Amino acid sequence: MKIFVKFDLHSVCTKVLENTLNNSQIKHTMLGFGEVDLHGSPTEETMEKFAEILSEYGIEIVQDQKSILVQKIKDTIIDMVFNDDNNLHVKSSVYLSETLDHSYGYLANLFSEVTYTSIENFIIIQKIEYTKQLILKGNLSLTEIAFKLNYSSVAHLSTQFKKTTGITPSSFQRIIAKRKELLK
Amino acid sequence: MNENYINVVLADDDEDDRLFFSEAFDELKINTKVSTFNDGVFLMDYFNSEEAILPEVLFLDLNMPRKSGLECLKELRANQKFKDVAIAIYSTSSSEEDVENTFVLGANIYIKKPNDFKSLKKVLSDVVTLNWQYHTNGLNKDNFLLRL
Amino acid sequence: MIARIKQKSPLFIKISFYIALLIIVVAGAVAFKTTKNLSKSSDLVVETYMVNVQLEQILSYLKDAETGQRGFIITNDSLYLEPYIKSRESINNSFAELKEFTKENDFQQNKLKDLSSLIDKRLNNFERSSSFSINNNLESPKFNPVFFEGKELMDAIRIKIGEMIAHQKEELARRQEDYKTDVLLTPIFLFFLILVSIALVLLAYYRITKDIESLKSYNEALETFKESANQSEIISKHGNWIWNIEENSYTYSDNLFRLLGEQPQSFKPQLDTFMSYVHPDDREKLEEDVKDMMENEHLPFVHFRIIQKSGNIKRFKSYGQTLELDGVKKLIGTTADVTDEFESFRLLEERNAELERNNKELSAFNHVASHDLQEPLRKIQTFLSRLVDKESDNLSKNGQLYIARITNAATRMRLLIDDLLQFSRTNKAEKVFETANINLILEGAKQDLAEAISDSNALIAADTFPVMRVIPFQIQQLFSNLISNSIKYQQENSIPKISITYKRIDAIEEDKLIKPKKEHYHKLTFTDNGIGFENEYAEKIFVLFNRLHGKNDFSGTGIGLSICKKIVENHKGYIFANGTPDKGATFEVYLPI
Repeated sequence: MKIFVKFDLHSVCTKVLENTLNNSQIKHTMLGFGEVDLHGSPTEETMEKFAEILSEYGIEIVQDQKSILVQKIKDTIIDMVFNDDNNLHVKSSVYLSETLDHSYGYLANLFSEVTYTSIENFIIIQKIEYTKQLILKGNLSLTEIAFKLNYSSVAHLSTQFKKTTGITPSSFQRIIAKRKELLK
Repeated sequence: MNENYINVVLADDDEDDRLFFSEAFDELKINTKVSTFNDGVFLMDYFNSEEAILPEVLFLDLNMPRKSGLECLKELRANQKFKDVAIAIYSTSSSEEDVENTFVLGANIYIKKPNDFKSLKKVLSDVVTLNWQYHTNGLNKDNFLLRL
Repeated sequence: MIARIKQKSPLFIKISFYIALLIIVVAGAVAFKTTKNLSKSSDLVVETYMVNVQLEQILSYLKDAETGQRGFIITNDSLYLEPYIKSRESINNSFAELKEFTKENDFQQNKLKDLSSLIDKRLNNFERSSSFSINNNLESPKFNPVFFEGKELMDAIRIKIGEMIAHQKEELARRQEDYKTDVLLTPIFLFFLILVSIALVLLAYYRITKDIESLKSYNEALETFKESANQSEIISKHGNWIWNIEENSYTYSDNLFRLLGEQPQSFKPQLDTFMSYVHPDDREKLEEDVKDMMENEHLPFVHFRIIQKSGNIKRFKSYGQTLELDGVKKLIGTTADVTDEFESFRLLEERNAELERNNKELSAFNHVASHDLQEPLRKIQTFLSRLVDKESDNLSKNGQLYIARITNAATRMRLLIDDLLQFSRTNKAEKVFETANINLILEGAKQDLAEAISDSNALIAADTFPVMRVIPFQIQQLFSNLISNSIKYQQENSIPKISITYKRIDAIEEDKLIKPKKEHYHKLTFTDNGIGFENEYAEKIFVLFNRLHGKNDFSGTGIGLSICKKIVENHKGYIFANGTPDKGATFEVYLPI
């Protein structure tokens, strides 16, 4: 029997992190956005073992500050896009600089230095990602999706979708549907 | 972007295309390790072997002797072992339906071989970059579809 | 008409005849009775006359006798007694006659008796009177009273005769009265009856003549029909046969014999004889079919082969249907020689298959050619670009120029090949029709052109379309090509406005559709406000690679509309273009329902 699952990566990772922390008996407080406050100072051995277990899940403990900030930027953006009480209607540059308490220029430069892509590009990718998810969910029309993601029109969304992925939203829908058919 | 390099494989029976491909990656700033195969059977033998280092992205030409790109695609997608490999169909022009069909069969990317070198470099760069974005940001690889 | 003749006319004729007959009989009876009465009356007249005559005769004789006697008395010459002697006899005769005439009439008989006694007395008186004369005793006083008695007797006789005559007259008058009315009316009545029966007879005659006329003309038509049926049998190579179900006998038309390669009516039509002509391989099945025919009294279409005596094999097709006529059930059947049709059909199938093969080959060739031409061209372009990138410093100015020109030419060639490839794809594709949501397809086309649409701020207004049975990818291409054309050929300083309307039409109403294959069509009209074109080019623009502008004015190779036309043809539809320079263009697409 086949089933299809969808998962919220963020909650999965958080859960894994928590479980691992608990199993490794590291006292902690979850601060959200991939931030954890460890109580006291666990031994190097514990930390090593902890890091090893985490790496099995593909989770890395980010070491340097820059990477940490970049990760924060990413997390903020992801939250901004995927969260249902939407912050997309605020200008993203403003939202980011306010949330992360740095100038947007600094954040932008740092981001491109580390990731080799721009924040804008990253935002677009996330929006398109969310669009794909919403299309697959099927309960919103393209117009509604366009509005939700702060596009000025369906045409605008379609244009960006096509620019980013190279295919139209309807083609995308068709392809995923046909893939499901094939798997039956 | 990464201390490590990105593994990239190309399967194409055309010598010139393999040349373009390698030169393009040479000139790109991304750290890549490029391997090429000129035949589908060799490709699958490699992938199925124990010592195979699976690439992040596999570029597949459709028209290959012995085993065509589509056959390789089907075989690869039937095997869970290769689910993390992004497969890009790298081909000369096809009809809309054929393009859609490659996606349906499990390709992530469809690339129409560009007519000039600059475009080729851009295309390859875009593919690798986007793929890496998916990889690092935990985006749903199942929905990763790109057409260039 | 025949039914009426069959049912109502005979009844009507029978009834009219019986009525006429009845009338004649009645008339006859009446006539007979009247004639009898008439003759009775005339008899009576004769009787009366005779009686009168005889009575007068008697009187006359008596007078003669009296005169004779008087003469004798005067002259005493016995010569004068002649009439007297004769009269006796005559009177007797007359009397006898009278008795005869009046023997029916009691009154007269009685009177006659009286008269007879009176006459006897008178005659007696004559004797007595005469004896006086003979005895020369005329002076005797007894003579006068005797003579006077004679006169009295004579008077009495006269009176009696008068009475008898009067009575006879009375009788006559009475009878005349009785039969007067009869005699008056009977002829009229008879005349009337005869008129009526004449009328009836005339009516019946008229009816019969009419019926005969129509039967005749029906017969004539039947004869003509039979002849034309015979001829049609010969021309269309079929023969008719009839199976009389009750008698189990067959009748074959002349041509059926000819179809079997025999002379008409050259043998007795029988099932076994026919079967002997049937091809041995087909015999068993045909016998089965005949068995079913006899059970179901119906023969559905059957095919079989026969072998003529000459050895020729022919293919036959038979069919039979029951017909009931006047209570007799017959199976009327037709057998046609379809050898030629079969042969033509086979040939046609072969030709078609060949054509299809050729077409497929050509399409495939087209496709492969366009496809394979891409490869070397791409290499040329790529290597050219490498040259430009890496070696342009090593090239002279001329060298650079030439490379630039080569690149241009290669780009142009690329465009042409791309278009050719697209065109050949429209042809080659397996024509798989689906019931598709056209609105979604239009949406897809709009998304494909999203960038062009948003760049030009084009406004697209479309009706809602019903679902249609189409090849979805091709229809999307059609929409895409038409819309992108409208955008491409926009007027300067003007926002492109494109409207797509829908109407369901009947093929008869549209004159443009010559020899439409279907009755109803979907009509999609694309209207734009672009630069339009001269209507004299309305057909040319669909020609492959035909352009109305130089290649530097507008991009493109002129294949877009040819592809549209090919797509519409794939759907067995029509496309027409209409343009007004500087106003806009209209494209009407008809797709069969």
